[in-house]
Amino acid sequence: MDLLRAIEASNFSTWVRESGSIWSYPTIIFFHSVGLAIIVGLSTAIDLRVLGFAPGIPVGPMEKLFPIMWAGFWVNAVSGLFLTMADAPAMLTSWLFLLKMAIIGLALVTMASMKRELFRKPTRGDVMSGTAKALALTSLVLWTGAITAGRLTAYLGPSADIKGTP
Amino acid sequence: MVRSLSIWLHSTSLSWAARGGLPWLWPLCETLHFIGMAMLIGIVGLLDLRMLGFVKGLPLRPLQRLLPWGVAGFVLNMITGVVFYAGDPFQYIDNKVFWLKIAFIALAGVNVLLFYATGLSRRVDEVGAGEDVPGAARVVAAASLFLWFGVLYWGRMLPFLGGAF
Repeated sequence: MDLLRAIEASNFSTWVRESGSIWSYPTIIFFHSVGLAIIVGLSTAIDLRVLGFAPGIPVGPMEKLFPIMWAGFWVNAVSGLFLTMADAPAMLTSWLFLLKMAIIGLALVTMASMKRELFRKPTRGDVMSGTAKALALTSLVLWTGAITAGRLTAYLGPSADIKGTP
Repeated sequence: MVRSLSIWLHSTSLSWAARGGLPWLWPLCETLHFIGMAMLIGIVGLLDLRMLGFVKGLPLRPLQRLLPWGVAGFVLNMITGVVFYAGDPFQYIDNKVFWLKIAFIALAGVNVLLFYATGLSRRVDEVGAGEDVPGAARVVAAASLFLWFGVLYWGRMLPFLGGAF
């Protein structure tokens, strides 16, 4: 707990939370939304295809989307780390925040499993296995959960004030 | 007109509910607003990326079959957006950041209209795997990415530059 308080009190965390600079909290949280849109948005597109919507889309080329999705993830890992540091004691002792981390962990495992399932050689081509469909459904549920938990963490910690949460 | 509409909205029970009459309505709509955003930017952004020459292996006609899901995200965000606006119209009505967001949405709409009205969408429909779209479609795709991430930017800035929540 002392460590968490020290992180929260550090110059960087204080700047993020209290400087009022457009480059601090606002820009960091903007990037956090951009990364979300990229990883969740593209995952959703793949999941919908796997579940049988837009069946005319060849699945093979979708492999190229995975590096873009991982880029979205890293944007959010870094921006999320900064946001967490600014509210370290409130975040890291909150079951909601820890639940969000757990859901994201599961979502990433699902994403990696989906890549293996879809693109392992020899490829199954455009016929989707039951496993792939189950992974797609799991992915949609987990990302919905991650967004929900993430939205609710906005109401935790000292930074909640600068976000003007009603 | 906007003012009288806002005054009326503020008097509705929807406004009461959004303002805290239904305590969980606001956070619920915020969550749905982010889900809609991810659907819209994910699907539209994927089409834009393809038109710009990434993931060229994807033929465009079947890819456009995903578009209704992007539209669904947009509709979800319009509905939840109206809830936010009804909840406290007066924090938005003279708010430059809010109107910038609306302007970017309108420009994105014009961009879509141009894409369909000029017949560009039909030409793009014929673009198969590995082929390039017409130059004009690349411009539309780049504008779309810029505008939708712009909408996200202004929306995200509402609490910070716009003083709204």
